[in-house]
Amino acid sequence: MSIDTRPSTAQDSTTSTSPDLGGTTSAWALVARREILIKLTDKGFIIGTLLTLAILGAWLGYTAYSSERTSSYAVVTTAQDAPMGAALAAAATTIDDKVEVTTSTVSDTAAGESAVRDGEADGFLHQADGGWVLTTESGEDGLLGVTKQAVRAAVIDGQAQQLGTTAAELEAGSTVSERFLVGDAERAGLARAIGFAMSLLFFMAALMYGLQIANSVVEEKQSRIVEIIATSIPLRHLLAGKVLGNTVMAILQIILYVGVGLIGLSFTQYGSFIPALGGPVVWFVVFFTTGFVALAALWAVAGSLASRVEDLQSTTAPLSYLIMGIYFGSFFLSGTAKVIASFVPPVSAVLMPMRILEGGVPIWQPIVAIALMLVFALGTIVIGERLYRRSLLQSGGRVSLKQAWSAAE
Amino acid sequence: MRNNATLQIRDLARTFGEIRAVDGVSFDVRPGMMTGFVGGNGAGKTTTMRMVMGVLGITSGEVRWDNRPITMADRRRFGYMPEERGLYPKQPVLDQLVYLGQLGGMSAQGARESVMRHLERFGLAERSKDHVEKLSLGNQQRVQIIAAVMREPTCLILDEPFSGLDPAAVDSMADLLREHTSRGVPVLFSSHQLDLVDRLCDRLVILNKGRLVGDGTREELESTGQVRYRLALGGDAGWVRDVPGIHVVDLEGSSALLEILQTGAEQELLRAAVQRGELREFSPVRPSLSEIYREVTQ
Repeated sequence: MSIDTRPSTAQDSTTSTSPDLGGTTSAWALVARREILIKLTDKGFIIGTLLTLAILGAWLGYTAYSSERTSSYAVVTTAQDAPMGAALAAAATTIDDKVEVTTSTVSDTAAGESAVRDGEADGFLHQADGGWVLTTESGEDGLLGVTKQAVRAAVIDGQAQQLGTTAAELEAGSTVSERFLVGDAERAGLARAIGFAMSLLFFMAALMYGLQIANSVVEEKQSRIVEIIATSIPLRHLLAGKVLGNTVMAILQIILYVGVGLIGLSFTQYGSFIPALGGPVVWFVVFFTTGFVALAALWAVAGSLASRVEDLQSTTAPLSYLIMGIYFGSFFLSGTAKVIASFVPPVSAVLMPMRILEGGVPIWQPIVAIALMLVFALGTIVIGERLYRRSLLQSGGRVSLKQAWSAAE
Repeated sequence: MRNNATLQIRDLARTFGEIRAVDGVSFDVRPGMMTGFVGGNGAGKTTTMRMVMGVLGITSGEVRWDNRPITMADRRRFGYMPEERGLYPKQPVLDQLVYLGQLGGMSAQGARESVMRHLERFGLAERSKDHVEKLSLGNQQRVQIIAAVMREPTCLILDEPFSGLDPAAVDSMADLLREHTSRGVPVLFSSHQLDLVDRLCDRLVILNKGRLVGDGTREELESTGQVRYRLALGGDAGWVRDVPGIHVVDLEGSSALLEILQTGAEQELLRAAVQRGELREFSPVRPSLSEIYREVTQ
């Protein structure tokens, strides 16, 4: 014979006779509220959130700053090479509007090198071995790029004049420019960057919250407080409250990060892309939510399979690998494999919003993907609830999945 | 509200694989009585209590409350203190007791009032905002008992409620439990400390290796065993060994501990003692609980 540990709430409310039993709040809501309050009063959580925001702000600030900044370089030449220096100074700003070059002359090569070494100049431009050399202390990328183009243009110009033609005629038909079938160059770069940020956020949240859920489950099990709770409410409510509370917190945190990120982005050169990002970001939040709920139920099961905190590492390992698989899969997959994977839960949580961001995804695809994800989430909750309920009250060592599934209640 | 329901355990059994942890145990926990639940390690006390509370499945048998099979709603009105303690280590005392009260169906206000009343009683009111892990083990145990009694339970199932408490704390905990038994609440508590059980409980249930070996009041349990008598004489008592119908359990100089195997044999013994000289004492010996325990668990 087994006993029913899952009473209907109706039964509870009709058979209770004490005047004390005036509470009307549902058990799952009480559990969810506690999970949220615990997070909000946890110093580690608050500090972690603020720190992440600070890092995000600093990175965006730096990006905005460096995109506006003009770099000035001082270049020295010998008197003999002064015309090339002048050509460089004149061409620099045309080639890159963020670069400014001033030139001056030194007496000889030794003086040029010592000027660079002493920091009086950023570069020493001189002729050697039938070409030009830019001597710098240890590399100046911005200056080198501009110098290469300016010197090349000046040299070709000179040679063209000797041949009685012009540089433009010589170069005619030799240029290569980029054209994208989908979107444009900057958008593709931005899509990659934001896709990276989104999968990182999902990865971090799924892993961090997941481990916290598993931990709080085993903590309740280890201290036996779960036995007190189990005599008060159906365990299904405990699981639901836990998943709900943590999901709410994870989503609020993600919305906070994404919001701050978008505001920060508006101050950079990418600000004009924000209106186009709105749709994909909403999709991201939708996929994130369903993907997170599905995984949260599994994390709770992983926690319930352990009997002590020390067992957690082994019971949560498969989930950790799954989430890492999702994370790396989002980078390594491409082409048809990526399209197919973007429908497969829970990988779709990251891949589908990423593809939407890249553009050219018909609307039916995310809808199908989200439907599949919902089915998956429902499945993990139903299966998770059974495993959780059956393993939670078994103490003494690790519980295997098989034991949990077939255990008598 | 006075309670007069009895908790009835009937042929309760639980197997873990091959092991029969609890094997056909039946006893009653009567209203208004403290029932001590004793037995060695692995005797099946915790397993029985967990089955009563519905947190462990029953292999066979049943638990009845108020003359009908127990329901989850009945259990919800019980107070339960599980084997290991901890509650939520990083949550303030008041917050988590109110949370547990609300899960048990109390209103937030009602729970807070009840918790504060109990905390004051235990002198812990000013610690209500402290995290549980900051309290001493004894105080954590008090918080745990508050969790069990805060809702005016209809029955109390307490697994080792006195372990780790100092004598004063034992007394105040016992007083609290007495208040509940005076409302008619049946209380079942397990303990290893037999002297404590002897002092506190009205009835005893003794388990040994999953089986029930004793159930009743102390007096009832005493009468199931052989009554012993102490005999004290003026001189050496060695001759008592030769009196027919008498079994000498222990002999030391002029005094002996005896069991009477044949009714009337004691009359012969006393006559002989008077003839031989001074008879100082002849009285029945009340066995200590540990003696009863040793006897029934042999």
